[in-house]
Amino acid sequence: MNLVRAELERLSARRFVQLMVVLLVLAFGVTAATTLAGSHKPSADELASARAQATEARRGMEMAFQECLARQNGTLPPREPESYYPRDCSEIDPVRSERLPITADYLPGVFSFAEQARPLLYFLIAFLVLFGFLVGASYIGADLNSGGVVNLLLWRPRRLTVLGAKLGALLGSVLALSVLASLFYLATFWVIGQTAGLAGRLSGDFWRSLGAVHGRGMVLVLLASALGFAIATLGRHTSAALGAVAAYAVVWELGARLVLEIVDARRPDQLMLSSHIGAWLTGETRFWDSQLCADSRPGVYCESFYSLTWGPALLVLLVITGGLTAAAFVVFRRRDLI
Amino acid sequence: MSAVIEIEGLRKTFHSLRNGRRVAVDGFDLLVEEGQIHGFLGPNGSGKTTTLRALLGLVRADSGRMSVLGEPSPELLPRVAGRVGAIVESPQFFGNFTGYRTLRLLARAGGVPVSRVDEALELVGLRDRGDERVKGYSLGMKQRLAVASALLKDPRLLILDEPANGLDPAGIREMRDLMRSLAASGVTVLVSSHILGEIQLICDHVTIISRGRRVAAGRVDEVLAGHDRHEFLVRVAEPERAVELLHAAELTAVVDSDALVVNGVTDSTVISRVLGEQGLWVGELTPLRPDLESVFLELTGAGEDPSVPRQVDHAAPLPGAEGDPIDLDVRGVDA
Ligand SMILES: Nc1ncnc2c1ncn2[C@@H]1O[C@H](COP(=O)(O)OP(=O)(O)O)[C@@H](O)[C@H]1O
Ligand SMILES: [Mg+2]
Repeated sequence: MNLVRAELERLSARRFVQLMVVLLVLAFGVTAATTLAGSHKPSADELASARAQATEARRGMEMAFQECLARQNGTLPPREPESYYPRDCSEIDPVRSERLPITADYLPGVFSFAEQARPLLYFLIAFLVLFGFLVGASYIGADLNSGGVVNLLLWRPRRLTVLGAKLGALLGSVLALSVLASLFYLATFWVIGQTAGLAGRLSGDFWRSLGAVHGRGMVLVLLASALGFAIATLGRHTSAALGAVAAYAVVWELGARLVLEIVDARRPDQLMLSSHIGAWLTGETRFWDSQLCADSRPGVYCESFYSLTWGPALLVLLVITGGLTAAAFVVFRRRDLI
Repeated sequence: MSAVIEIEGLRKTFHSLRNGRRVAVDGFDLLVEEGQIHGFLGPNGSGKTTTLRALLGLVRADSGRMSVLGEPSPELLPRVAGRVGAIVESPQFFGNFTGYRTLRLLARAGGVPVSRVDEALELVGLRDRGDERVKGYSLGMKQRLAVASALLKDPRLLILDEPANGLDPAGIREMRDLMRSLAASGVTVLVSSHILGEIQLICDHVTIISRGRRVAAGRVDEVLAGHDRHEFLVRVAEPERAVELLHAAELTAVVDSDALVVNGVTDSTVISRVLGEQGLWVGELTPLRPDLESVFLELTGAGEDPSVPRQVDHAAPLPGAEGDPIDLDVRGVDA
C-alpha cells in the first residue's frame, strides 16, 4: 500500500503528466468557451419557427414515402422523372430512417446538449486515450532509464510487486482523472445547454446511451494506458511505445489494408484494431462486404454490410492488451536491470 | 564470526547483438564477515559493479551461489533487504524532486519511518541543502544523497560501489570517517574502489578482482605480507664493489641508479655486517615494503609497460590454472 502511495506521488510529480493535465484543461476551456461564444438561448419566435420547420420536414418525408408506395402499387400513375423515387420505397420510409429532423436542426447558432453531447464525449475520450497511453508509456519508460526502478528494487527486491504497484498507481490515477474530467466536462456543457442554448430532449434513453458510451470510453482509456505501459516496459523506453503504435498504424492499418484491398481479401476491416475500437466505443459498427450480396438474385433486397459488435470487439482489445501486459511482467521479472 | 556476504563461483556473461558475448564475472568468490570494512578492489571493467548487481538481484547470474546476511540471494533477498543499504554505480535520482522528497519516497516505499530522512541527510552533510532540487546538486552532492539513501534503512550491511566518485578531498575524508563510525557501531561495510590509497586507509580486509576473478583476498596486512619480497634499498659509497661483496655472501643484489636493491633478505643486519667487514659503510638501509598499489598493479598486470597505453580489459595472466587464484584468505592457505 505504501508502495502504491509512493508511486502515486511520483506519478503526479512528473512534468509530463502535469503538462498533459494542463493541455486537458486547456482543450476543455477552449471548447467550452467557443461553444459558449457561438451559442445563444433561442427566443420564443425562433423556437416556434424551428419547430414548425421540423414538423414540415417530417411531413414532407412522410408524403414522399406514401407517394412512392402509391406509385409502386400503381394507385398513382408513374410520373416523369420516375427515377426520382427509389426502386424500393422502404429506403425512404421515415420510420426506418436513422434520424428524423428535429427542432434543433433549424436553430443555427444554438448549442443543443442532446445533439452535441455524444460527439463532445467522443472527443474527450479520444484525448484521454492519448493521455493514458502517453502517460503510461513515459511513466515507466523514464523510470527504467533514470534508474528509478533500480533504486526502488534495492528497497523492495520484488520485481513483480514493484511493477504491479506502478501499473496499479497508473490505472487508478488515470481512471480517477478521466472520470472526474469527463463528468465535469459533460456537466459544463449541460449547463451551457440549459442557460445559453437548448437542452434538447434529455430522455432516460438519452442518458442511458450517453452513460454507456462514457463507461466504454473509460474502459478504452484504461486499456490504452496499460498498453502504453506494457510496450514501454517491454522495449525499456517510452519511445518504444510510440514507435510501436506508429509502426502499427503505418504498416498494418495503412499498408496491409491497401494490400488486402488489392488482393480483394474479404472483410479486411475486421482485421484492423481501429475497427474494434470503434465497435467497442459505439456499440456496433457496420462494414461493407463485397461478396455478401454477390450471388443474391437481382431485384431482391440484400444488405451487403456485416457488423462488428462491442462484445467480440472488447474481447479482441482485452486479449491484445492483456497479452502484452502479461508479457511485460514475465520479461521484467527475468531481465537484467542496468 | 559469521559471514555477511558469501559469493562462490559467480559467473555472469552479457550477450549483446553488437558486442557479442562478454564475460564480466568469471567464477568469482567473495567472503565478507561481520564487522569488517571490506575493500573490493579492481581496475575499471574488472567486474565489481556486475558482482554487486548480481548480489543484489539486479542482474541474473549464469551460475554461482550467493548469500546476504545468511539468506540465499536473490531468492530470499526480500527478507533481508530492509537491513542492507546499497548504492550501485552512481545512482540516478529524479531531478525534479528535492533531496528530502527523494528520500521520503524511498522511505515510504520501504516502510521506514520518515523521521529517518533528516537523520540520513544530516549524516552525509546535506542537512541544509535537502530542500533543493536534485538537478541542482553537484556530482559530489548527488553521491552524498545516494549514500544517504543507503543509510536510510539503518542498515546492518552497507554496500558502496565507488562512493568516492565525484567527491572532493574533504568529502572523501568525510566519507571515510562516516564509514569508520558506522563500522564502529557494528555495521559491516563492503566498499568497492579502484583507488588504492582509499582502501588501504580504511579497510581491514580486501578482495582484489581482475578480469572477473579473485586474485587476492584476506586481511590487508596479510595480503601485503604475502607480496613482501624482502627487499632493501642500500646506499653505499661504491655500489659496484658492494654488489660483488653481497654476491660473494650469496645474496642477490642489483644496482638501481645510485643505490642498490638487495632482495631475499630476512635479517637486514646481514647486509650491514657483510659490507661493514670490508670497510664499506652503509649510508641508508630501507626496507622496501609493498603497498597495496604495487600489489594491485602486480596482480592485475596494470602498468607493466609504461610506454604502451594499457587497455581496460588487459590484465596479467592469472597465476595457476583456471579457478585457482592466490588464496590469502585468513582461513585459507598462505601464498
Ligand atoms: N550491460 C552490460 N552489457 C554488456 N557488457 C557489460 C554490461 N555491464 C558491464 N559489462 C561489461 O562487464 C565488464 C565488467 O563491468 P563492471 O562490472 O561494470 O566493471 P567495474 O565495475 O569493475 O568497473 C566490463 O567489461 C563491461 O564492459
Ligand atoms: Mg563499476
